Amino acid sequence: MFRACVLRSVENMIEARELTKRYGGRTAVDALSFTVRPGLVTGFLGPNGAGKSTTMRLVLGLDTPTAGSVTVAGRRYDELDAPLREVGALLDARAVHPGRTVRRHLLGLARSHAIPARRVDEVLGAVGLETAADRRAKGLSLGMAQRLGVAAALIGDPGVLILDEPVNGLDTEGIRWMRTLLKSLAAEGRTVFLSSHLMSELELTADRVVVIGRGRLLAETDMRDFIDANSPDSTLLRVPDDESGRMRALLESRGAGVRPDAGGGWRVTGPTATVIGELAREHGLAVHELTPCRSSLEDIYTAMTGEAVEYRGSTDTDDKEVPR
Amino acid sequence: MTTAATSPPGFRDALAFEWTKFTGLRSTVWTTAAIALVTVTGAVFVGLTDSLQPDDTVLGGSLTLSVVALMTAGVAGALAVCGEYSSGTITATLAAVPRRGRVLAAKTALMAAMLYGIGLVSCTVAYLLGSAVLDGTHPQGDPLPALFGIAALFSVVGALGVAVGTFVRHPAGAVTAVIAVLLLPSVFGPLLGDLQRWVAGATPTAALEKLTQTSDARPETVGSLGAWPSLALVAGYTALALAGAAVVLRRRDA
Repeated sequence: MFRACVLRSVENMIEARELTKRYGGRTAVDALSFTVRPGLVTGFLGPNGAGKSTTMRLVLGLDTPTAGSVTVAGRRYDELDAPLREVGALLDARAVHPGRTVRRHLLGLARSHAIPARRVDEVLGAVGLETAADRRAKGLSLGMAQRLGVAAALIGDPGVLILDEPVNGLDTEGIRWMRTLLKSLAAEGRTVFLSSHLMSELELTADRVVVIGRGRLLAETDMRDFIDANSPDSTLLRVPDDESGRMRALLESRGAGVRPDAGGGWRVTGPTATVIGELAREHGLAVHELTPCRSSLEDIYTAMTGEAVEYRGSTDTDDKEVPR
Repeated sequence: MTTAATSPPGFRDALAFEWTKFTGLRSTVWTTAAIALVTVTGAVFVGLTDSLQPDDTVLGGSLTLSVVALMTAGVAGALAVCGEYSSGTITATLAAVPRRGRVLAAKTALMAAMLYGIGLVSCTVAYLLGSAVLDGTHPQGDPLPALFGIAALFSVVGALGVAVGTFVRHPAGAVTAVIAVLLLPSVFGPLLGDLQRWVAGATPTAALEKLTQTSDARPETVGSLGAWPSLALVAGYTALALAGAAVVLRRRDA
Protein backbone atom coordinates (compact mmCIF):
# COMPACT_ATOMS: atom_id res chain seq x y z
CA MET A 1 0.00 0.00 0.00
CA PHE A 2 2.74 2.42 0.88
CA ARG A 3 6.34 2.57 0.01
CA ALA A 4 8.79 0.58 2.07
CA CYS A 5 8.88 1.60 5.68
CA VAL A 6 11.55 4.17 6.20
CA LEU A 7 12.19 4.98 9.79
CA ARG A 8 11.95 8.71 9.54
CA SER A 9 14.22 10.65 11.80
CA VAL A 10 13.57 13.60 14.06
CA GLU A 11 13.77 15.84 11.03
CA ASN A 12 10.06 15.24 10.55
CA MET A 13 9.13 16.95 13.78
CA ILE A 14 6.63 19.77 13.94
CA GLU A 15 7.89 22.41 16.34
CA ALA A 16 5.86 25.41 17.46
CA ARG A 17 7.71 28.08 19.42
CA GLU A 18 5.72 30.82 21.14
CA LEU A 19 3.33 30.63 18.19
CA THR A 20 0.82 33.47 18.32
CA LYS A 21 -1.95 34.53 15.99
CA ARG A 22 -4.25 37.49 16.50
CA TYR A 23 -7.12 38.40 14.23
CA GLY A 24 -7.87 42.02 14.98
CA GLY A 25 -8.20 42.08 18.77
CA ARG A 26 -8.99 38.40 19.12
CA THR A 27 -6.15 36.08 20.10
CA ALA A 28 -6.73 32.73 18.41
CA VAL A 29 -3.37 31.18 19.30
CA ASP A 30 -1.48 32.46 22.30
CA ALA A 31 2.27 31.81 22.74
CA LEU A 32 1.81 28.14 21.93
CA SER A 33 4.88 25.90 22.12
CA PHE A 34 4.81 22.18 21.44
CA THR A 35 6.63 19.45 19.56
CA VAL A 36 5.06 16.69 17.51
CA ARG A 37 7.37 13.73 17.10
CA PRO A 38 7.71 11.08 14.40
CA GLY A 39 6.61 7.49 14.83
CA LEU A 40 3.66 8.42 17.01
CA VAL A 41 0.09 9.51 16.63
CA THR A 42 -0.27 12.84 18.40
CA GLY A 43 -3.75 14.01 19.25
CA PHE A 44 -4.58 17.70 19.26
CA LEU A 45 -7.38 18.38 21.70
CA GLY A 46 -9.35 21.44 22.55
CA PRO A 47 -12.91 22.68 22.57
CA ASN A 48 -14.39 24.43 19.56
CA GLY A 49 -12.69 27.77 19.02
CA ALA A 50 -9.61 26.72 21.01
CA GLY A 51 -7.36 27.47 18.03
CA LYS A 52 -6.71 23.95 16.69
CA SER A 53 -7.55 24.73 13.08
CA THR A 54 -5.74 28.06 13.22
CA THR A 55 -2.64 26.31 14.55
CA MET A 56 -2.78 23.83 11.68
CA ARG A 57 -3.18 26.66 9.17
CA LEU A 58 -0.11 28.31 10.69
CA VAL A 59 1.89 25.08 10.35
CA LEU A 60 0.97 24.97 6.64
CA GLY A 61 1.87 28.60 6.04
CA LEU A 62 -1.69 29.45 5.02
CA ASP A 63 -1.86 32.13 7.70
CA THR A 64 1.14 34.12 8.91
CA PRO A 65 1.87 34.08 12.65
CA THR A 66 1.61 37.39 14.49
CA ALA A 67 4.57 36.28 16.58
CA GLY A 68 6.61 33.15 17.18
CA SER A 69 7.25 30.44 14.62
CA VAL A 70 6.37 26.94 13.60
CA THR A 71 8.59 24.64 11.58
CA VAL A 72 8.30 21.26 9.94
CA ALA A 73 11.51 19.30 9.66
CA GLY A 74 13.32 22.37 10.92
CA ARG A 75 12.05 24.68 8.20
CA ARG A 76 9.14 27.00 7.69
CA TYR A 77 6.53 25.38 5.46
CA ASP A 78 7.04 27.85 2.62
CA GLU A 79 10.75 27.01 2.63
CA LEU A 80 10.15 23.33 1.91
CA ASP A 81 11.39 22.31 -1.53
CA ALA A 82 8.61 19.85 -2.26
CA PRO A 83 5.95 20.42 0.41
CA LEU A 84 3.57 17.62 -0.58
CA ARG A 85 6.40 15.10 -0.39
CA GLU A 86 7.09 16.17 3.17
CA VAL A 87 3.72 17.18 4.60
CA GLY A 88 0.25 15.90 3.79
CA ALA A 89 -2.68 17.80 5.20
CA LEU A 90 -6.42 17.44 5.48
CA LEU A 91 -7.98 20.63 6.79
CA ASP A 92 -11.48 20.66 5.33
CA ALA A 93 -12.81 17.63 3.51
CA ARG A 94 -15.39 19.77 1.71
CA ALA A 95 -12.73 22.02 0.19
CA VAL A 96 -12.84 20.29 -3.18
CA HIS A 97 -14.35 21.99 -6.22
CA PRO A 98 -17.84 20.45 -6.50
CA GLY A 99 -17.58 20.05 -10.26
CA ARG A 100 -14.24 18.25 -10.25
CA THR A 101 -13.94 14.48 -10.17
CA VAL A 102 -12.13 12.66 -7.39
CA ARG A 103 -9.41 11.54 -9.80
CA ARG A 104 -8.90 15.03 -11.26
CA HIS A 105 -8.56 16.58 -7.83
CA LEU A 106 -5.83 14.12 -6.92
CA LEU A 107 -4.22 14.28 -10.35
CA GLY A 108 -3.85 18.06 -10.06
CA LEU A 109 -2.07 17.73 -6.73
CA ALA A 110 0.13 14.99 -8.16
CA ARG A 111 1.08 17.15 -11.17
CA SER A 112 2.07 20.00 -8.87
CA HIS A 113 4.94 17.82 -7.68
CA ALA A 114 5.61 15.76 -10.83
CA ILE A 115 4.23 12.72 -9.05
CA PRO A 116 3.33 9.96 -11.54
CA ALA A 117 -0.39 9.47 -12.23
CA ARG A 118 -0.29 5.89 -10.98
CA ARG A 119 0.19 7.25 -7.47
CA VAL A 120 -3.39 8.58 -7.77
CA ASP A 121 -4.65 5.01 -8.14
CA GLU A 122 -2.46 3.90 -5.25
CA VAL A 123 -3.91 6.44 -2.83
CA LEU A 124 -7.44 5.82 -4.11
CA GLY A 125 -6.89 2.17 -3.27
CA ALA A 126 -5.44 3.05 0.13
CA VAL A 127 -8.60 4.91 1.12
CA GLY A 128 -11.06 2.61 -0.62
CA LEU A 129 -12.33 5.11 -3.18
CA GLU A 130 -11.42 3.23 -6.39
CA THR A 131 -15.02 2.91 -7.46
CA ALA A 132 -15.74 6.59 -6.85
CA ALA A 133 -12.75 7.86 -8.86
CA ASP A 134 -14.85 9.38 -11.63
CA ARG A 135 -17.54 10.87 -9.44
CA ARG A 136 -17.73 14.63 -9.05
CA ALA A 137 -17.01 15.94 -5.59
CA LYS A 138 -20.50 17.36 -5.11
CA GLY A 139 -21.91 13.81 -5.11
CA LEU A 140 -19.69 12.56 -2.29
CA SER A 141 -20.96 11.86 1.21
CA LEU A 142 -19.02 13.52 4.03
CA GLY A 143 -17.43 10.17 4.81
CA MET A 144 -16.25 9.77 1.21
CA ALA A 145 -15.03 13.37 1.18
CA GLN A 146 -12.97 12.60 4.29
CA ARG A 147 -11.45 9.59 2.54
CA LEU A 148 -10.65 11.79 -0.46
CA GLY A 149 -9.02 14.27 1.89
CA VAL A 150 -6.85 11.51 3.34
CA ALA A 151 -5.97 10.35 -0.17
CA ALA A 152 -4.92 13.91 -1.04
CA ALA A 153 -2.80 14.08 2.10
CA LEU A 154 -1.05 10.83 1.14
CA ILE A 155 -0.41 11.75 -2.51
CA GLY A 156 3.22 12.75 -1.97
CA ASP A 157 3.96 9.87 0.45
CA PRO A 158 4.85 12.47 3.08
CA GLY A 159 6.65 11.92 6.37
CA VAL A 160 4.31 14.27 8.21
CA LEU A 161 0.51 14.11 8.24
CA ILE A 162 -1.67 16.89 9.61
CA LEU A 163 -5.35 16.05 9.85
CA ASP A 164 -8.11 18.29 11.16
CA GLU A 165 -11.03 16.20 12.46
CA PRO A 166 -10.43 13.32 10.02
CA VAL A 167 -13.05 11.00 11.50
CA ASN A 168 -15.79 13.60 11.25
CA GLY A 169 -18.57 12.10 9.15
CA LEU A 170 -17.20 8.58 9.09
CA ASP A 171 -19.36 5.65 10.13
CA THR A 172 -18.21 3.11 12.71
CA GLU A 173 -16.44 1.01 10.12
CA GLY A 174 -14.81 4.14 8.69
CA ILE A 175 -13.63 5.26 12.12
CA ARG A 176 -12.05 1.87 12.73
CA TRP A 177 -10.41 2.01 9.32
CA MET A 178 -9.05 5.50 10.01
CA ARG A 179 -7.68 4.44 13.40
CA THR A 180 -5.86 1.48 11.87
CA LEU A 181 -4.53 3.59 9.01
CA LEU A 182 -3.19 6.35 11.26
CA LYS A 183 -1.53 3.87 13.57
CA SER A 184 0.11 2.06 10.68
CA LEU A 185 1.32 5.36 9.21
CA ALA A 186 2.88 6.24 12.55
CA ALA A 187 4.37 2.76 12.82
CA GLU A 188 6.12 3.41 9.51
CA GLY A 189 7.91 6.25 11.25
CA ARG A 190 5.73 9.09 10.07
CA THR A 191 4.62 12.00 12.18
CA VAL A 192 0.84 11.94 12.58
CA PHE A 193 -0.84 14.99 14.08
CA LEU A 194 -4.61 14.95 14.27
CA SER A 195 -7.22 17.02 15.95
CA SER A 196 -10.51 15.60 17.03
CA HIS A 197 -13.46 16.51 19.15
CA LEU A 198 -14.17 12.80 19.58
CA MET A 199 -12.06 12.38 22.68
CA SER A 200 -12.94 8.74 23.07
CA GLU A 201 -11.54 8.24 19.58
CA LEU A 202 -8.26 9.98 20.41
CA GLU A 203 -7.94 7.90 23.53
CA LEU A 204 -7.88 4.82 21.32
CA THR A 205 -5.70 6.26 18.57
CA ALA A 206 -3.23 8.73 19.96
CA ASP A 207 0.05 7.95 21.74
CA ARG A 208 0.62 11.53 22.74
CA VAL A 209 -1.65 14.47 23.27
CA VAL A 210 -1.38 18.23 22.97
CA VAL A 211 -4.26 19.92 24.76
CA ILE A 212 -5.12 23.57 24.19
CA GLY A 213 -7.83 25.87 25.50
CA ARG A 214 -8.40 29.43 24.31
CA GLY A 215 -5.24 29.26 22.23
CA ARG A 216 -3.00 28.31 25.16
CA LEU A 217 -1.21 25.07 25.87
CA LEU A 218 -2.81 23.11 28.70
CA ALA A 219 -0.89 19.87 28.45
CA GLU A 220 1.60 18.09 26.23
CA THR A 221 2.28 14.56 27.32
CA ASP A 222 1.92 10.84 26.66
CA MET A 223 -1.71 9.85 26.47
CA ARG A 224 -1.32 7.24 29.23
CA ASP A 225 0.50 9.65 31.54
CA PHE A 226 -2.06 12.29 30.78
CA ILE A 227 -4.90 10.09 31.90
CA ASP A 228 -2.98 8.72 34.89
CA ALA A 229 -1.90 12.13 36.10
CA ASN A 230 -5.29 13.68 35.73
CA SER A 231 -7.62 10.93 36.81
CA PRO A 232 -8.24 10.17 40.43
CA ASP A 233 -8.78 6.44 40.07
CA SER A 234 -12.07 5.22 41.33
CA THR A 235 -13.55 1.79 41.95
CA LEU A 236 -17.03 0.61 41.17
CA LEU A 237 -18.37 -1.37 44.12
CA ARG A 238 -21.55 -3.38 44.38
CA VAL A 239 -22.62 -4.96 47.64
CA PRO A 240 -25.88 -6.57 48.83
CA ASP A 241 -28.55 -3.91 49.49
CA ASP A 242 -28.90 -4.75 53.20
CA GLU A 243 -25.16 -4.28 53.76
CA SER A 244 -24.61 -1.18 51.64
CA GLY A 245 -25.09 1.30 54.51
CA ARG A 246 -22.49 -0.50 56.66
CA MET A 247 -20.05 -0.71 53.76
CA ARG A 248 -20.36 2.96 53.05
CA ALA A 249 -19.84 3.96 56.67
CA LEU A 250 -16.82 1.69 56.86
CA LEU A 251 -15.23 3.18 53.75
CA GLU A 252 -15.91 6.73 54.78
CA SER A 253 -14.34 6.07 58.22
CA ARG A 254 -11.13 5.22 56.29
CA GLY A 255 -11.25 8.53 54.42
CA ALA A 256 -12.62 7.20 51.13
CA GLY A 257 -14.94 9.21 48.93
CA VAL A 258 -18.18 7.34 48.31
CA ARG A 259 -20.94 8.46 45.98
CA PRO A 260 -23.70 6.57 44.23
CA ASP A 261 -22.85 5.55 40.64
CA ALA A 262 -25.33 6.31 37.89
CA GLY A 263 -25.41 2.63 36.96
CA GLY A 264 -26.12 1.46 40.53
CA GLY A 265 -23.67 0.66 43.33
CA TRP A 266 -21.01 2.97 44.83
CA ARG A 267 -18.26 4.90 43.14
CA VAL A 268 -15.34 4.83 45.59
CA THR A 269 -12.33 7.13 45.37
CA GLY A 270 -9.24 6.86 47.56
CA PRO A 271 -8.45 3.24 48.41
CA THR A 272 -7.61 0.86 45.61
CA ALA A 273 -9.78 -2.14 44.75
CA THR A 274 -7.33 -4.37 46.63
CA VAL A 275 -7.68 -2.32 49.81
CA ILE A 276 -11.47 -2.30 49.54
CA GLY A 277 -11.58 -6.06 49.00
CA GLU A 278 -9.37 -6.72 52.02
CA LEU A 279 -11.47 -4.39 54.12
CA ALA A 280 -14.69 -6.17 53.14
CA ARG A 281 -13.20 -9.55 54.07
CA GLU A 282 -11.97 -8.30 57.47
CA HIS A 283 -15.50 -7.18 58.30
CA GLY A 284 -17.27 -10.16 56.81
CA LEU A 285 -19.07 -8.18 54.13
CA ALA A 286 -20.07 -9.66 50.75
CA VAL A 287 -18.89 -8.01 47.54
CA HIS A 288 -20.82 -8.56 44.29
CA GLU A 289 -18.65 -6.42 42.07
CA LEU A 290 -15.32 -4.64 42.50
CA THR A 291 -14.11 -2.90 39.31
CA PRO A 292 -11.17 -0.47 39.08
CA CYS A 293 -12.13 2.45 36.77
CA ARG A 294 -10.08 5.15 35.14
CA SER A 295 -11.56 8.47 34.26
CA SER A 296 -12.09 8.72 30.55
CA LEU A 297 -10.14 11.27 28.59
CA GLU A 298 -13.41 13.02 28.06
CA ASP A 299 -13.86 13.61 31.80
CA ILE A 300 -10.36 14.99 32.19
CA TYR A 301 -10.59 17.10 29.13
CA THR A 302 -13.90 18.60 30.13
CA ALA A 303 -12.51 19.45 33.53
CA MET A 304 -9.32 20.98 32.09
CA THR A 305 -10.82 23.01 29.31
CA GLY A 306 -13.60 24.17 31.57
CA GLU A 307 -10.98 25.62 33.89
CA ALA A 308 -9.16 27.14 30.94
CA VAL A 309 -12.27 28.94 29.81
CA GLU A 310 -12.82 30.35 33.27
CA TYR A 311 -9.20 31.34 33.63
CA ARG A 312 -9.08 33.02 30.28
CA GLY A 313 -12.39 34.69 30.85
CA SER A 314 -10.88 36.87 33.53
CA THR A 315 -7.83 37.92 31.50
CA ASP A 316 -9.48 38.77 28.22
CA THR A 317 -8.88 42.44 28.85
CA ASP A 318 -5.16 41.78 28.38
CA ASP A 319 -5.67 41.29 24.67
CA LYS A 320 -4.25 44.26 22.91
CA GLU A 321 -4.85 45.09 19.34
CA VAL A 322 -1.70 44.47 17.40
CA PRO A 323 -1.50 45.68 13.81
CA ARG A 324 -0.91 42.87 11.42
CA MET B 1 12.08 13.12 1.89
CA THR B 2 11.39 9.68 0.49
CA THR B 3 12.20 10.59 -3.09
CA ALA B 4 15.33 12.63 -2.74
CA ALA B 5 16.30 11.82 -6.32
CA THR B 6 13.61 14.01 -7.90
CA SER B 7 14.27 17.69 -8.26
CA PRO B 8 12.04 20.16 -6.43
CA PRO B 9 8.86 21.11 -8.29
CA GLY B 10 9.03 24.36 -10.22
CA PHE B 11 6.98 26.64 -12.42
CA ARG B 12 6.27 23.96 -15.03
CA ASP B 13 4.71 21.75 -12.36
CA ALA B 14 2.63 24.64 -11.05
CA LEU B 15 1.45 25.24 -14.62
CA ALA B 16 0.58 21.54 -15.07
CA PHE B 17 -1.36 21.74 -11.78
CA GLU B 18 -3.36 24.73 -13.04
CA TRP B 19 -3.99 23.07 -16.41
CA THR B 20 -5.29 19.91 -14.72
CA LYS B 21 -7.60 21.93 -12.51
CA PHE B 22 -8.81 24.07 -15.41
CA THR B 23 -9.59 21.23 -17.81
CA GLY B 24 -11.24 19.17 -15.08
CA LEU B 25 -14.23 21.48 -14.83
CA ARG B 26 -17.18 21.71 -17.16
CA SER B 27 -17.77 25.33 -16.21
CA THR B 28 -14.36 26.60 -17.30
CA VAL B 29 -14.35 24.47 -20.45
CA TRP B 30 -17.77 25.80 -21.48
CA THR B 31 -16.86 29.38 -20.65
CA THR B 32 -13.86 29.02 -22.91
CA ALA B 33 -15.95 27.51 -25.67
CA ALA B 34 -18.40 30.40 -25.35
CA ILE B 35 -15.57 32.89 -25.89
CA ALA B 36 -14.80 31.23 -29.21
CA LEU B 37 -18.38 30.75 -30.34
CA VAL B 38 -19.77 34.18 -29.57
CA THR B 39 -17.50 36.06 -32.00
CA VAL B 40 -18.03 33.56 -34.80
CA THR B 41 -21.79 33.56 -34.31
CA GLY B 42 -21.75 37.36 -34.35
CA ALA B 43 -19.92 37.44 -37.68
CA VAL B 44 -22.44 35.11 -39.30
CA PHE B 45 -25.34 37.10 -37.89
CA VAL B 46 -23.97 40.49 -38.97
CA GLY B 47 -23.05 39.07 -42.36
CA LEU B 48 -26.43 37.51 -43.09
CA THR B 49 -28.40 40.55 -41.95
CA ASP B 50 -25.89 42.96 -43.49
CA SER B 51 -26.31 45.09 -40.38
CA LEU B 52 -23.19 47.22 -40.72
CA GLN B 53 -22.81 50.96 -40.55
CA PRO B 54 -22.22 52.28 -44.08
CA ASP B 55 -18.69 53.31 -43.17
CA ASP B 56 -17.86 50.13 -41.23
CA THR B 57 -15.15 47.73 -42.34
CA VAL B 58 -15.65 44.04 -42.97
CA LEU B 59 -13.16 43.33 -40.19
CA GLY B 60 -14.97 45.57 -37.71
CA GLY B 61 -18.39 44.23 -38.67
CA SER B 62 -17.32 40.61 -38.48
CA LEU B 63 -15.91 41.16 -35.00
CA THR B 64 -18.96 43.01 -33.67
CA LEU B 65 -19.46 40.52 -30.84
CA SER B 66 -15.77 40.23 -30.03
CA VAL B 67 -16.38 42.79 -27.26
CA VAL B 68 -18.68 40.27 -25.56
CA ALA B 69 -16.05 37.57 -26.02
CA LEU B 70 -13.47 39.94 -24.53
CA MET B 71 -15.61 40.47 -21.43
CA THR B 72 -16.06 36.72 -21.10
CA ALA B 73 -12.29 36.35 -21.31
CA GLY B 74 -11.90 38.75 -18.39
CA VAL B 75 -14.56 36.87 -16.44
CA ALA B 76 -12.83 33.55 -17.16
CA GLY B 77 -9.58 34.98 -15.80
CA ALA B 78 -11.30 36.19 -12.64
CA LEU B 79 -13.10 32.88 -12.09
CA ALA B 80 -9.82 30.97 -12.44
CA VAL B 81 -8.91 32.58 -9.11
CA CYS B 82 -12.31 33.09 -7.46
CA GLY B 83 -13.39 29.50 -8.10
CA GLU B 84 -10.58 28.46 -5.77
CA TYR B 85 -11.77 30.76 -3.02
CA SER B 86 -15.46 29.85 -3.31
CA SER B 87 -14.80 26.10 -3.33
CA GLY B 88 -12.08 26.30 -0.66
CA THR B 89 -9.45 24.64 -2.85
CA ILE B 90 -7.22 27.70 -2.40
CA THR B 91 -5.84 26.11 0.77
CA ALA B 92 -4.91 22.92 -1.10
CA THR B 93 -3.39 24.98 -3.92
CA LEU B 94 -1.30 27.16 -1.62
CA ALA B 95 -0.26 24.15 0.47
CA ALA B 96 0.95 22.43 -2.71
CA VAL B 97 2.63 25.58 -4.04
CA PRO B 98 3.53 27.78 -1.05
CA ARG B 99 5.37 30.23 -3.29
CA ARG B 100 2.30 32.27 -3.98
CA GLY B 101 3.79 34.43 -6.71
CA ARG B 102 4.32 31.21 -8.63
CA VAL B 103 0.63 30.27 -8.27
CA LEU B 104 -0.38 33.65 -9.67
CA ALA B 105 2.17 33.44 -12.48
CA ALA B 106 0.99 29.95 -13.44
CA LYS B 107 -2.66 30.98 -13.53
CA THR B 108 -1.83 34.09 -15.56
CA ALA B 109 0.33 32.17 -18.02
CA LEU B 110 -2.33 29.52 -18.51
CA MET B 111 -5.15 32.00 -19.10
CA ALA B 112 -3.04 34.25 -21.32
CA ALA B 113 -1.77 31.43 -23.52
CA MET B 114 -5.18 29.84 -23.86
CA LEU B 115 -6.99 33.08 -24.58
CA TYR B 116 -4.39 34.07 -27.16
CA GLY B 117 -5.08 30.89 -29.09
CA ILE B 118 -8.83 31.13 -28.71
CA GLY B 119 -8.86 34.82 -29.63
CA LEU B 120 -6.69 34.33 -32.68
CA VAL B 121 -8.58 31.35 -34.07
CA SER B 122 -12.09 32.58 -33.33
CA CYS B 123 -11.51 36.12 -34.65
CA THR B 124 -9.78 34.83 -37.77
CA VAL B 125 -12.63 32.41 -38.45
CA ALA B 126 -15.14 35.20 -37.78
CA TYR B 127 -13.35 37.51 -40.21
CA LEU B 128 -13.19 34.88 -42.93
CA LEU B 129 -16.87 34.01 -42.48
CA GLY B 130 -17.80 37.69 -42.46
CA SER B 131 -15.83 38.32 -45.66
CA ALA B 132 -17.49 35.37 -47.33
CA VAL B 133 -21.02 36.35 -46.40
CA LEU B 134 -20.89 40.15 -46.76
CA ASP B 135 -21.26 41.71 -50.19
CA GLY B 136 -18.42 43.84 -51.48
CA THR B 137 -19.82 47.28 -50.62
CA HIS B 138 -17.78 47.74 -47.45
CA PRO B 139 -14.07 48.46 -47.15
CA GLN B 140 -12.20 45.36 -46.09
CA GLY B 141 -10.07 46.77 -43.27
CA ASP B 142 -6.56 45.50 -42.51
CA PRO B 143 -6.79 42.10 -40.80
CA LEU B 144 -3.03 41.77 -40.44
CA PRO B 145 -1.42 42.32 -38.07
CA ALA B 146 -4.59 43.51 -36.28
CA LEU B 147 -5.80 39.94 -35.60
CA PHE B 148 -2.62 39.21 -33.66
CA GLY B 149 -3.17 42.36 -31.65
CA ILE B 150 -6.75 41.33 -30.92
CA ALA B 151 -5.57 37.90 -29.77
CA ALA B 152 -2.98 39.58 -27.54
CA LEU B 153 -5.73 41.78 -26.11
CA PHE B 154 -7.71 38.67 -25.16
CA SER B 155 -4.61 37.43 -23.30
CA VAL B 156 -4.14 40.73 -21.54
CA VAL B 157 -7.79 40.99 -20.48
CA GLY B 158 -7.69 37.41 -19.18
CA ALA B 159 -4.64 38.37 -17.12
CA LEU B 160 -6.41 41.50 -15.90
CA GLY B 161 -9.27 39.21 -14.82
CA VAL B 162 -6.81 37.07 -12.86
CA ALA B 163 -5.56 40.19 -11.06
CA VAL B 164 -9.07 41.45 -10.30
CA GLY B 165 -10.10 37.96 -9.12
CA THR B 166 -7.13 37.90 -6.75
CA PHE B 167 -8.02 41.28 -5.28
CA VAL B 168 -11.75 40.63 -4.93
CA ARG B 169 -11.80 36.83 -4.24
CA HIS B 170 -15.61 36.54 -4.32
CA PRO B 171 -16.85 35.35 -7.73
CA ALA B 172 -19.87 37.64 -7.99
CA GLY B 173 -17.89 40.68 -6.93
CA ALA B 174 -15.03 39.87 -9.28
CA VAL B 175 -17.30 39.32 -12.28
CA THR B 176 -19.02 42.62 -11.57
CA ALA B 177 -15.68 44.37 -11.23
CA VAL B 178 -14.36 42.96 -14.50
CA ILE B 179 -17.48 43.94 -16.42
CA ALA B 180 -17.45 47.36 -14.80
CA VAL B 181 -13.86 47.98 -15.87
CA LEU B 182 -14.67 46.97 -19.44
CA LEU B 183 -18.10 48.48 -19.84
CA LEU B 184 -18.70 51.42 -17.54
CA PRO B 185 -16.18 53.89 -19.03
CA SER B 186 -17.95 53.76 -22.39
CA VAL B 187 -21.44 53.83 -20.84
CA PHE B 188 -20.75 56.75 -18.54
CA GLY B 189 -18.13 58.31 -20.82
CA PRO B 190 -20.46 61.03 -22.12
CA LEU B 191 -20.96 62.26 -18.55
CA LEU B 192 -17.25 62.97 -18.25
CA GLY B 193 -17.13 65.64 -20.94
CA ASP B 194 -13.60 66.20 -22.19
CA LEU B 195 -12.28 63.47 -19.89
CA GLN B 196 -14.21 60.85 -21.82
CA ARG B 197 -11.49 60.48 -24.42
CA TRP B 198 -8.98 59.73 -21.69
CA VAL B 199 -11.03 57.45 -19.48
CA ALA B 200 -12.98 55.53 -22.10
CA GLY B 201 -9.98 55.61 -24.41
CA ALA B 202 -7.81 53.76 -21.91
CA THR B 203 -10.14 50.76 -21.54
CA PRO B 204 -9.56 47.36 -23.13
CA THR B 205 -12.82 47.89 -25.00
CA ALA B 206 -11.43 51.00 -26.66
CA ALA B 207 -8.28 49.12 -27.64
CA LEU B 208 -10.47 46.42 -29.18
CA GLU B 209 -12.52 48.93 -31.16
CA LYS B 210 -9.35 50.47 -32.52
CA LEU B 211 -7.81 47.13 -33.39
CA THR B 212 -10.96 45.91 -35.17
CA GLN B 213 -11.13 49.23 -37.02
CA THR B 214 -14.82 49.58 -36.37
CA SER B 215 -16.59 52.84 -37.11
CA ASP B 216 -17.38 53.09 -33.37
CA ALA B 217 -13.76 53.95 -32.65
CA ARG B 218 -14.13 57.71 -33.09
CA PRO B 219 -11.48 59.96 -31.55
CA GLU B 220 -14.10 61.97 -29.65
CA THR B 221 -15.20 58.86 -27.70
CA VAL B 222 -12.09 56.73 -27.40
CA GLY B 223 -9.30 59.26 -27.79
CA SER B 224 -6.77 59.65 -30.55
CA LEU B 225 -4.26 57.14 -29.22
CA GLY B 226 -3.53 54.57 -31.93
CA ALA B 227 -4.54 50.90 -31.78
CA TRP B 228 -1.14 49.54 -30.81
CA PRO B 229 -0.29 52.16 -28.21
CA SER B 230 -3.75 51.50 -26.71
CA LEU B 231 -2.94 47.81 -26.48
CA ALA B 232 0.40 48.64 -24.87
CA LEU B 233 -1.35 50.91 -22.37
CA VAL B 234 -3.80 48.15 -21.36
CA ALA B 235 -0.93 45.67 -21.10
CA GLY B 236 0.97 48.17 -18.96
CA TYR B 237 -1.69 48.66 -16.32
CA THR B 238 -2.51 44.96 -16.37
CA ALA B 239 1.13 44.26 -15.47
CA LEU B 240 0.85 46.75 -12.61
CA ALA B 241 -2.39 45.14 -11.42
CA LEU B 242 -0.74 41.71 -11.46
CA ALA B 243 2.21 42.99 -9.47
CA GLY B 244 -0.22 44.41 -6.91
CA ALA B 245 -2.16 41.13 -6.87
CA ALA B 246 1.07 39.23 -6.18
CA VAL B 247 1.84 41.46 -3.21
CA VAL B 248 -1.70 41.10 -1.82
CA LEU B 249 -1.71 37.33 -2.31
CA ARG B 250 1.60 36.97 -0.48
CA ARG B 251 0.65 39.17 2.44
CA ARG B 252 -2.89 38.01 3.00
CA ASP B 253 -3.92 34.99 5.04
CA ALA B 254 -5.29 32.38 2.67
